Amino acid sequence: ARSAHTAPSPHTAPAPLPQSASAASQSEAARACGGSGSSTLVAVLQFLRRSNLRESEEILRREARLLGDDLGAAALSPASAGLLGGSGSDADSGEALLGRGTGAAAVAVAGNVATVATSSPGVAAVAAVPPGKVGGAVVVEDQPDVSAVLSAYNQQGDPTLYEEYYSGLKHFIECSLDCHRAELSQLFYPLFVHMYLELVYNQHESEAKSFFERFHGDQECYYQDDLRVLSSLTKKEHMKGNETMLDFRTSKFVLRISRDSYQLLKRHLQEKQNNQIWNIVQEHLYIDIFDGMPRSKQQIDAMVGSLAGEAKREANKAKVFFGLLKEPEFDVPLDDEDEEGENEEGKPKKKKPKKDNVGSKSKKQDPNAPPQNRIPLPELKDSDKLDKVMNMKEAARRVRLGPECLPSICFYTFLNAYQGLTAVDITDDSSMIVGGFADSTVRVWSVTPKKLRSVKTAADLSLIDKESDDVLERIMDEKTASELKILYGHSGPVYGTSFSPDRNYLLSCSEDGTVRLWSLQTFTCLVGYKGHNYPVWDTQFSPYGYYFVSGGHDRVARLWATDHYQPLRIFAGHLADVTCTRFHPNSNYIATGSADRTIRLWDVLNGNCVRIFTGHKGPIHSLAFSPNGRFLATGATDGRVLLWDIGHGLMVGELKGHTDTVYALRFSRDGEILASGSMDNTVRLWDAVKAFEDLETDDFTTATGHINLPENSQDLLLGTYMTKSTPVVHLHFTRRNLLLAAGAYSSQ
Amino acid sequence: MEAAKMASPKSAPKDAQVMAQILKDMGITEYEPRVINQMLEFAYRYVTTILEDAKIYSSHAKKSSVDADDVRLAIQCRTDQSFTSPPPRDFLLDIARQKNQTPLPLIKPYSGPRLPPDRYCLTAPNYRLKSLQKKVSSTAGRITVPRLSVGAVSSRPSTPTLGTPSAQTVSVSAKVGAPVSLAGQRFTVQIPSSQPAGKSATPTTPTVQNVLINPSLIGPKNILITTNMVPPGAADPSPLKRKHEDDDDYDAL
Repeated sequence: ARSAHTAPSPHTAPAPLPQSASAASQSEAARACGGSGSSTLVAVLQFLRRSNLRESEEILRREARLLGDDLGAAALSPASAGLLGGSGSDADSGEALLGRGTGAAAVAVAGNVATVATSSPGVAAVAAVPPGKVGGAVVVEDQPDVSAVLSAYNQQGDPTLYEEYYSGLKHFIECSLDCHRAELSQLFYPLFVHMYLELVYNQHESEAKSFFERFHGDQECYYQDDLRVLSSLTKKEHMKGNETMLDFRTSKFVLRISRDSYQLLKRHLQEKQNNQIWNIVQEHLYIDIFDGMPRSKQQIDAMVGSLAGEAKREANKAKVFFGLLKEPEFDVPLDDEDEEGENEEGKPKKKKPKKDNVGSKSKKQDPNAPPQNRIPLPELKDSDKLDKVMNMKEAARRVRLGPECLPSICFYTFLNAYQGLTAVDITDDSSMIVGGFADSTVRVWSVTPKKLRSVKTAADLSLIDKESDDVLERIMDEKTASELKILYGHSGPVYGTSFSPDRNYLLSCSEDGTVRLWSLQTFTCLVGYKGHNYPVWDTQFSPYGYYFVSGGHDRVARLWATDHYQPLRIFAGHLADVTCTRFHPNSNYIATGSADRTIRLWDVLNGNCVRIFTGHKGPIHSLAFSPNGRFLATGATDGRVLLWDIGHGLMVGELKGHTDTVYALRFSRDGEILASGSMDNTVRLWDAVKAFEDLETDDFTTATGHINLPENSQDLLLGTYMTKSTPVVHLHFTRRNLLLAAGAYSSQ
Repeated sequence: MEAAKMASPKSAPKDAQVMAQILKDMGITEYEPRVINQMLEFAYRYVTTILEDAKIYSSHAKKSSVDADDVRLAIQCRTDQSFTSPPPRDFLLDIARQKNQTPLPLIKPYSGPRLPPDRYCLTAPNYRLKSLQKKVSSTAGRITVPRLSVGAVSSRPSTPTLGTPSAQTVSVSAKVGAPVSLAGQRFTVQIPSSQPAGKSATPTTPTVQNVLINPSLIGPKNILITTNMVPPGAADPSPLKRKHEDDDDYDAL
């Protein structure tokens, strides 16, 4: 059932999509009978025309002209129908956009379109769609769902005049005042793409080509990749297979423009001869108006670049619980055997149980932290408690990093990988390292002198003494202990790996569409989670175990639990592949970076998207949450590292320096240093404390959604460390703040 | 990745040059030289498949020649088959909405390794053990029945014809050969040959040697090998044999 775009207009409930022309006419009649509203009116008119009831149509149209503002004399072309189908949940924007408080936004739109010149006959055949929420089956061979999406691209005027329209707009914008020009220039790209796609869809191939030739050079440099993809889309058939382009076309491109600039634009476009552009603007663009100074080119360039424009301010207004969950309190016995280092001076050994300081600091609930039971989390087992004790002991010996005290970097180079290393992960206690390879193997190494042992076989297990104290040692098989274990099972390159926090499980995700759970005690595969039927690009265990997230080519991220064979949550909304998925330290939120150049933050509890961050100019490949949970750092193919304040939903920093894709990002254990590793064979260290201090978030900032970013990348850069032609694929701070890095040596 | 080498006009065929140009137009600048060959092969295979399909459709429609509609139809059918694309966005939004409505399930504490039900895991054995053919029991206590029963090992053997007390060299040679189900398992069993004088009261002691069995392959249902020598004229092997047979039943196919 395709109750497609949810409530695209303030009208009656969406009707189910008809699957054939005849069914369409029937349902139209049904719809026409029910409910009032102009969409049904248009539907009725369509029906009448198709049934050749010209007189009735004329009468009805004459009466209809009394509704709506400027319903022209021209035929209510079928094009209007498609327009009503516009795109999804953003139709309310129509009201904001047009500033008309009535619920008859669609009427106004229809009215405007009525002034459109009659469509050419070729188009009429194609556009014989029944009107409605989303266009129904086109009488050609398209599948209903795709045609629905594409049918909104009905003709808006004479194809040969498109170049005129565009150049007219270009001229206007270039002649406008400097302060407005930067903002209005944002219009070029979405208009260009939508107009081009319209020409292609309506099969005006030569016009499309010349349109492209003439104007593609004017676009911003960061859209070049998209334009290259567009240049290969020359026929209508090409559009069908390209999901990203389809998504682009159905979602409204968001632009943030100040009110003054907007007034200017509106006045210009509403003049008679520019109505075509105005129609396109209304249909495909969402203009988020803010009151205040127009932005400068620099500010705009920092925030734009994604496939969907920028983010609407409402999208970033939901409350996000970015605080950390409280750690359980328990006594930590000071174990003197480990404290040799501290007793060098011969101080008397004191056996004092130390209270766990982490939990006892604040008895009050942090207002920004989620309630403990907001999402169910697994209980703390004894082994977990032991692990925490170890963690705290290590933390006591942690080096405090800062600009004066930079971490040492230990680099693990994968040799002889032949460009096959596709994923790396290191356990939290830095005892094991796993590599996922293009030959579909997953290899686990032990980093410490302790070898990897698997549990004995069933026969041997029956022979051991189960009551002995060291039974946990006895169940391990020494004979097959080795430093390396190879796990076979995937049937495609392994693109993501993740250790569980208790080091019992390993996850790997692959191009074969499955996520596999491996046991690190038997080194065998336990489960294969099938859900993505397309390559899965990244996966990660939750910081508390049990849950894990995966993201793939099907443009969604999925939340799984190890004991459910189907996902618990599906996070849909990205326009292109989800390339990177990370849990927030409190396990209540998931950040996903995508090839549509946005980062979205999702709530695990209900699957809602609570934040959208735009600004990168290329697919995102790395994400890192700060240890205090307040900030997010992201890296993409454009070489920039962007810093985001999750609570306010703003970009707070831009770290320029890398010259190639940033594949690895990691904050130090206390959040003082941000380390970034890139394809340009360097690791860079940035001062995170300085980057996040003095954040002025006043009313203006929160209202407009942007701040002035200082150009302080150079100040924040603490060091650049070159590797020997080894791109850095993974970064990890040990519990004592030693930085580990991993990559595969590539010989050129 | 090795840098692209534009084939010199003299050496590369025209197709390869065209393919290289296409790659360049699509913005791919670095690729291994074999990529061109793979792309050409794909293009050839795709086009021939489509044209063959189109020919079939055209002849089905009793047309004299293949025209554009046939090709279009062929492309469409193949697209649905081989080049599936991910589901459209609204479908995803729809199923996401459905999935996200159910609350997160509560976690039962202390429930061991949290894995899905067994049928969704990969932890089941992916082999099944064939049973041994049932041995014909002998009446005479003279004949020593092999008391080694590795339930699995199935020999589709030349069942030792132990029924006859007459002298026959019994050789369960099949066991020496590759066992049917369990790879890597090897053992040699020598069934003692009974004396020609069946009535003799002293059959030779069985020489049971070299029973090497990989213990890891023995599951809980199989009996461990007992390498005891069967004493001559021994006690009734029947209880053991019976046990063997019982276990055989478990492994019955």
